[in-house]
Amino acid sequence: MKRVIQMAWRNIWRNRKRTIITAASIFFALFFAIGMRSFQLGTYGHMIHQSIEAYTGYLQVQSPDYFDEPGLDNAFEYSAELVQNINSNPQVKIAVPRVESFALASIGAKTKGVLVNGIDVEKEAELSNPQRNLVRYRFSSHLMEKVYELDELSKDQIANLKIYGNASFSSLDKISLNCGITNKELLNKIGKLTAFEGNYLQSDDDGILVSDRLSKFMHLSIGDTLVLMGTGYQGSSAAGLFPVRGIIKIPSPELDNKLVYMALPRAQQFFDMENMLTTLAINIHDNGKMLEVQHELDQQLDNELYVVKNWEEFNPILKQTIEGDSAGGLVFIAILYVIVFFGIFGTVLMMIAERKREFGVLNAIGMRKRQLMYVVVIEMVFMGSLGAVMGMLAISPLLYLGNKYPIQMTGQTAKMYEDMGYEAVMPMASFDAYFWWQAIIVIIMVLLASYFPLKSIRKLKLMNALRA
Amino acid sequence: MKVIQIKDLHKTYSESEVEVHAVNGVTLDFAEGEFAAIVGPSGSGKTTLLNMIGGLDDPTSGDVKVGGTNMSDLKGEALTDFRLNNIGFVFQSYNLIPVLTAKENTEFVMRLQGKTTQECERRTIELLQAVGLGERINARPSKSSGGQQQRVAVARALASKPKFVLADEPTANLDSKSTETLLDIMEKLNKEENITFVFSTHDARVVKKARRVITIEDGKIISDVRKNGGE
Repeated sequence: MKRVIQMAWRNIWRNRKRTIITAASIFFALFFAIGMRSFQLGTYGHMIHQSIEAYTGYLQVQSPDYFDEPGLDNAFEYSAELVQNINSNPQVKIAVPRVESFALASIGAKTKGVLVNGIDVEKEAELSNPQRNLVRYRFSSHLMEKVYELDELSKDQIANLKIYGNASFSSLDKISLNCGITNKELLNKIGKLTAFEGNYLQSDDDGILVSDRLSKFMHLSIGDTLVLMGTGYQGSSAAGLFPVRGIIKIPSPELDNKLVYMALPRAQQFFDMENMLTTLAINIHDNGKMLEVQHELDQQLDNELYVVKNWEEFNPILKQTIEGDSAGGLVFIAILYVIVFFGIFGTVLMMIAERKREFGVLNAIGMRKRQLMYVVVIEMVFMGSLGAVMGMLAISPLLYLGNKYPIQMTGQTAKMYEDMGYEAVMPMASFDAYFWWQAIIVIIMVLLASYFPLKSIRKLKLMNALRA
Repeated sequence: MKVIQIKDLHKTYSESEVEVHAVNGVTLDFAEGEFAAIVGPSGSGKTTLLNMIGGLDDPTSGDVKVGGTNMSDLKGEALTDFRLNNIGFVFQSYNLIPVLTAKENTEFVMRLQGKTTQECERRTIELLQAVGLGERINARPSKSSGGQQQRVAVARALASKPKFVLADEPTANLDSKSTETLLDIMEKLNKEENITFVFSTHDARVVKKARRVITIEDGKIISDVRKNGGE
């Protein structure tokens, strides 16, 4: 075996240029395939993190009818036993109670339908953490006139700031990233000029947090009072006056247009549904075990009162978006591999054609055809592995850096991302199964490409080969 | 003791609509330790005869028995294994494995036979020294002359301790000096190891060295002369 391996290794270097070209084609295919897939998976992971892990939760406990008819009448009772039961599952990281319903918001002449989200202020900090999105800076046009007068600002920076006219930010870091301003002193000056007051809710607060776009539409400021009217539990009338404590910037434009956060006790009081919830959002320790945990919780809970839904069920649009985009990416990778496959196939054909006589001699002196096939397969695996290993080694540092330090968009691109509801970052996925799959695909390709030559060795006519 | 027994051997090729009898009813025996040359003009059928003796080509009819085994009974891997263990080949154009050194080429067949490393090493060195290449065991074919390559080919042919060696025009590509050296080596090994050598050739120098000369024409044996006088 050692001799066969040695022979195969030396054979691939008989035509150095051809081996290098073939290995290089595999190298580039793998480099781009892994790089592209990593960006895709990283982006999907980020989308899931933004929408699911940091908002809806991976799992939700609901009343059995809530999924088909989401409304307060399909709420369920929030009891200590229920929470204890859910928390007894070791995979459950946190279970956050929520009351969600719609109401009509009004101030002055402005009226709009809003989504009221009653949250446990402390627990919610561990799931969606709305406080992190609290607007602390707002680029209102009258304030920005003063900002543009700052001497330290370059023309490019002013242009970038203008893109974000009337935008809101939750931190100076975000301003720095989006507007491309790295000078801390300058950032602090812009911060001072554009500072926006606002507070997070207290656990027994009777005020509300209003989403950024909604606040702009309703011309709301901190301290303003919003009138909310709607239908409460079992048809009761819900109405109240709610002072605005803070403005929050929600990444999703759709939600940013209509979200109102309220402390859970106040929401339950408003909707007249004491001690009741519409959903219990759950995050788990190992997201890969979502279906397993869903099944376990389903078993643990009384199915007449509760059902457990996973995010793919209550957010099918996100799932379909990811699946559709992923399929497109896979088709591109497949095309790339098909091209490389024919490159490998051509090399194999040439290798076999020019060595027909040698195969004849080897068979004549006593080497079985099967052993000849081993040599060819090992040669091909060597060639494939050479390109694959180099490709994987070359992409690895980029993958590591792209995962640890995601690419941050700035300026117009960042604005475009944010307008679409995505954070303006392009993270790469870390090393995972997809990484190793590319290598496996290359080996499979090499073996497939070897099929024809192996067949021709099996059918080798000794005299024809010796005369070749 | 008969090493090779050939009985009424025929080989017919169909070229277009014409049938060519490359070998036409050859009956022949080779005894252990013979040093025989099959001679004849080009197209006389000597290489075809050699190929059938070596199990490289199938006869149209007739039998070739090697050490009592009828070659026609062997197919596929069994035939390959039989060649490995019983027959050594020396080809006109050397046909060494280009990526292996002289030592590796020589021990290659022994590795296929599954012999131990020590056994392979010992016999390889012994054979390469016998063919005068003890100093060039690590040279690859591309770094060796035609004569040196053919000597490695002889060492390879003998490495498996075959019952006989078939050499198809072994000197055709060699100069006089290399031919002389190669023939001396083969004669010496023939005598020392008592291995039968059968050549196909039209080289007068080979014919001169051979102790038996079989002349073939149009696929038929027209003379079979033993140098000690017998026919």
